Amino acid sequence: MFQNTKCECGHQNHVGTVLCESCGKPLGEELLSDEPLEMRYDGVARRSQKANPNLIDKIWSFFSSVKIAVYLIIITLLASVLGTIFTQENMLTEDPATYYEMNHGTIGKIYYMLGLSHTYNSWWYITLLVMIGTSLVICSLDRVLPLYRALSKQQIRKHLRFITRQKVVYTGPIEGSEEQFVERIAEQLKKKRYKVHTEGTALLAEKNRFSRWGPYINHIGLILFLLAVLARSIPGLHMDMYVAVPEGQTNEIEGTEYYIKNEKFTVNYYTDDELPDSLKGTARPKLYETKAVLYRCVEDCNELTKEPVLEEVARHDIVLNDPLSYEGLKAYQSGFDATPRLELVKPVLINKQTGEEFGPFELDIRNPQTTFQVGPYTLNLRSQYMEFAYGSNGEPTTLSREPNAPAYLFIITGPGLKEEGEAYLYFPNQIDKLQFNQDALNRSIADRFEIKVNGMENVKLSGAITYLNIRKDSAVPYIWIGAAISMIGLIMGFYWHHRRIWLRFDQGTLSLGAHTNKNFYGMRSEVAWVLGKAGIEVEPKSLDNGGNKT
Amino acid sequence: MGTARKKVQVVILILVLLIGGFAIGQTLFKEKSKVPGVGDQPPGFSLFDLKGEVHSLADYKGKPLVITFWGTFCPPCIRELPEFQRQYDKWKSEGLEVLAINLSEADLPVQNYVQRLNLNFTVLRDVNRKVERMYGLRSYPTTFFVKPDGNIAEIVVAEMSEEQIQKRVEKLFEP
Repeated sequence: MFQNTKCECGHQNHVGTVLCESCGKPLGEELLSDEPLEMRYDGVARRSQKANPNLIDKIWSFFSSVKIAVYLIIITLLASVLGTIFTQENMLTEDPATYYEMNHGTIGKIYYMLGLSHTYNSWWYITLLVMIGTSLVICSLDRVLPLYRALSKQQIRKHLRFITRQKVVYTGPIEGSEEQFVERIAEQLKKKRYKVHTEGTALLAEKNRFSRWGPYINHIGLILFLLAVLARSIPGLHMDMYVAVPEGQTNEIEGTEYYIKNEKFTVNYYTDDELPDSLKGTARPKLYETKAVLYRCVEDCNELTKEPVLEEVARHDIVLNDPLSYEGLKAYQSGFDATPRLELVKPVLINKQTGEEFGPFELDIRNPQTTFQVGPYTLNLRSQYMEFAYGSNGEPTTLSREPNAPAYLFIITGPGLKEEGEAYLYFPNQIDKLQFNQDALNRSIADRFEIKVNGMENVKLSGAITYLNIRKDSAVPYIWIGAAISMIGLIMGFYWHHRRIWLRFDQGTLSLGAHTNKNFYGMRSEVAWVLGKAGIEVEPKSLDNGGNKT
Repeated sequence: MGTARKKVQVVILILVLLIGGFAIGQTLFKEKSKVPGVGDQPPGFSLFDLKGEVHSLADYKGKPLVITFWGTFCPPCIRELPEFQRQYDKWKSEGLEVLAINLSEADLPVQNYVQRLNLNFTVLRDVNRKVERMYGLRSYPTTFFVKPDGNIAEIVVAEMSEEQIQKRVEKLFEP
């Protein structure tokens, strides 16, 4: 079935055109009604309204529907709500497989099994975002291209029905010459910044056409924003993790080629005079700062049997909100742990009978030597326990790998001792010595020998551990750009309005029609003002031809 | 823009498929990201043994492997070690290898246990918990049973009796 879409003015329109692209005459169904005209997109056919849709057209048509776009947004909104019910997986330190059931019961278990524990990274959520993005692109393209075409080749002399069925209309006779009237109107309109075109006694005045592009610029901004958000999942563009570095040590930043060193950590606390009464006596940090050095590994980077070769690339004193920044990588001060830990002790061996002291010898807490020559005595380290305890079978054992309660079993040989040597269990920490009753354990030897540390100068405590938050987010600048473009589009669309005024003369009668995309109230005011200046006094309200709510 | 319309539509839809496919694909593959599971190849490593020699996972290619992670602070791990030793004695003539990776502890405790329990399979020393993290360990003991073709047949995150170990070792020898 072929439809005749040729207008009486001779112009051939596309199927689906509501108003003739050339003269504006209402076509098809629009012709029959008396209501104000359907002026969306100037009555031009949208790309997706075609005669015989093939598969591509059907897909295109689906995504160009605003109704579908709204549904997609609502569904995404509801899905986003679901992700806020329980803590998401990427914020957990515990194992997700057990966390949800343990902390939230059966609902938690179902939540985890449905994949809602990682809502925002799930395949269906990303699919929704991709569909919204597609809809943004296709909706915009479908409308902006025909609109641009329509607005670029506007006819000056419009069909009479086009003018009289606008939402702002004035018809009536005039006094004097038609040409002079047109000239006077044109002058007044130019004062209001309209661009005026005349063709004989027909006139078209237009201003602020650029504001029509506002929504489409907004969409471009949003698409850029969305692409940037999706781009964050490209490996290497996003990182947010923590690294703990004890003072003096250099630790690897996992997943990168970088190492970071805590050269020196300083923490200053408020003195009691600086604190209000309610806080006196509390250790409130005033300042904590990490003198940090960032290294890049250049050789032997992933070899556990070799030391990596590092090259210094950056240095910074990291304080709260003042990170070390290098090539997009940022290290923020997060927290610290200033609990003193034993690193090294230098005990002496005391012969209680003679009162002699031998040593001191250096005992590294984590990686001690196994033999020590202390005066005439030899100490052989037989066992090392990081966190001493008695096992279920009554034997000494260790509870962990961390030196929380270190203990060392020596076999001592030398003068005054049996030939095969005698055992001595040594606890560097005073607390452990008392708790495990070191003297009682060593009773066969304790009256003759003792191992102890003389004074704090023979104890080396490890410095504080600094916690640094390592972050990288290369997509962020693009997110800002996308947001800025979006804002520009919104401002363009909301602060200026596209206004057009057509007029023509037919046998001495003036017909004037006006259209705007927003704010008809203002349009009517302006038309009334222009007519007033041309000698026709009218009330703005009288220009209202119905059909609009503003 | 009549004829160009179809081309533009096709181009846009192809871009959507590519970008969308990439983004969605990322979510599907990232789940199974780094932690090795059954059917995967165990991540490679190079570690020192107690004599100071370097062993790499690649050295054991083509052999059925038992990779177990243990520490002296972990009583179940210690209980399992003699069981692994007996299984190793039984199957080593058929090519079974046992790699017992210690969880980054100091020399002395590790050597003491190895000597006391008379272990002669390969004991390796992890450094700074790196290999432990590579394998995604959450608790100990964790044992990986690897087939000669290089794929993980089973991961056991619990203490096993000797029977249970034997059952799994036997499966490694099945074609």
